[in-house]
Amino acid sequence: MIRFNQVNKTYPGGFVALNNVNFSLAAGEMAFLTGHSGAGKSTLLKLMSLMEKPTSGSVHINGVNLSSVSYSQVPFVRRGIGMIFQNHNLLMDRTVFDNVALPLVIEGFGHKETKKRVEAALEKVHLTSKIRCYPHMLSGGEQQRVGIARAIVNKPPILLADEPTGNLDPKLSLEIIKLFEEFNDLGVAVLIATHDLGLIARLKYRTLTLKQGAMINDGLVEGLQGGSDE
Amino acid sequence: MNKQRETTKNHSSRPHTNVAAKLLAYFIRHLQQGIGSLGDLWRTPFTSVMTILVLGISLTLPATLHVFVKNAQSISQQWESASEISLFLKLSTSEKAAENLVKRLSLYPEVASVKYISAKTAMEEFKTTSGFGQALDYLSTNPLPATVLVIPTKHSSQPQAAEELLQKLTNEREVEQGKLDLEWLTRLAAITTLIEDIVVGIALLLCASVVLIIGNTIRLAILNQRDAIAVMKLVGATDSFIQRPFLYAGAWYGVLGGMVAILCVTALVHYFSYSLVALTDLYQSNFSLIGLSGGEMLWLLLFAIVLGLSGSYISVRKHIRAIEPTAE
Repeated sequence: MIRFNQVNKTYPGGFVALNNVNFSLAAGEMAFLTGHSGAGKSTLLKLMSLMEKPTSGSVHINGVNLSSVSYSQVPFVRRGIGMIFQNHNLLMDRTVFDNVALPLVIEGFGHKETKKRVEAALEKVHLTSKIRCYPHMLSGGEQQRVGIARAIVNKPPILLADEPTGNLDPKLSLEIIKLFEEFNDLGVAVLIATHDLGLIARLKYRTLTLKQGAMINDGLVEGLQGGSDE
Repeated sequence: MNKQRETTKNHSSRPHTNVAAKLLAYFIRHLQQGIGSLGDLWRTPFTSVMTILVLGISLTLPATLHVFVKNAQSISQQWESASEISLFLKLSTSEKAAENLVKRLSLYPEVASVKYISAKTAMEEFKTTSGFGQALDYLSTNPLPATVLVIPTKHSSQPQAAEELLQKLTNEREVEQGKLDLEWLTRLAAITTLIEDIVVGIALLLCASVVLIIGNTIRLAILNQRDAIAVMKLVGATDSFIQRPFLYAGAWYGVLGGMVAILCVTALVHYFSYSLVALTDLYQSNFSLIGLSGGEMLWLLLFAIVLGLSGSYISVRKHIRAIEPTAE
């Protein structure tokens, strides 16, 4: 599903954001991506979502080598990834329904199918009652769940989440992670970038740790605690 | 749960709704976006009205000039078809000889009709129209020559052919002098051509500025939507999907601006026709100003839409591509 092969990313000016990163995430796998600020988490996500290109090495998403994707093909690759952001990136002037329906509208689904899928997605994140609300009428946690519904509504094989629990209290954070677990149960590959080590420690998932652009740990949570508790 | 798992497991082979439904959804989407764009214009009334007025007024000027040229052409055509040659006969010509001449002239293949005005009739006419009235009675002899008005056939009324006919007619024995009023006709034609060229020049300049103005308005609209566009790109929207509402907005500017132009031109023609009626009355002409025809209005509207679309297209091409999502 996701495969990084000797990926390097150097920004203009010489800052090395990623240094020889190798890892892969299989279909239906769930993992955390962690590391301090500036360790390269964002860069890794940007490479996966085609916001940036690696300086060298190759990134494969859903079997597509991203360096061979032309500008006009970028949207189609992105449709295979559900992306969730810390600031949820909702369109504030549209209702919850319209926000969640956006990926389906873009793909040209019919009205009936769109309605059915949006309702199903909102039901999964327990927000059916808020379907006619605008994002500013919702709490932080609810907004985040709308973002998740939008990410899963077109059933992408991969979910990428960038600090999805960043602004939430521990109880809400756990709820969000539980949601991810549910999708993972349904066969979706999930990669969650977070620096919430407490959360990672409680859940025994594979954890990828970045430090100054290098992948210093790839394994279970026990390894992480020794490795990054500095 | 089990059932859910199964449906989701199928997601690798993406669901294909049938083609007809997708096509229908496509058209409905276009309709929605088209109407949605009109709503967007409504939400920024000041900018929209300004842009529409600029477009409308810019098109009004060349369209009005076009109406002017059209009317000038119709005048010169009226005159050209009625162009007649006046032949003034020698004073010594007897009534009989004149009648003879008229008979001969009407046999010319280039001549459509001939009208004879005797010296006496000419005098009477002059008395009534000149205002000298009784004073003319004191003249001992009639100084006016008899006149033959020759109207050439359509073919021979073209400037060149009419000139040749004039030569031929003045060679007739009884004719003292022939007169064909061509000069002012050629002048009018030249002026009309000049104005036409000016119209084209001005129209081109105004169109260029209209395209730029609409391009700029659309650019501002795009920049206002920058965040939303970035989000759409992130969830997999193609550029053509994102640019569609902006293109529709450009087309709407065209429709509304075109309507403004049509209204302005119609109002101006109406306004001019009052002063023109006063003027043409002086010349005892029943000329009336021709406004824009239905077909021309349609062309004007279409042209405005094309301008609106091209303005927004230029802007959309340049600016939507430039917006790239960032992680933050």
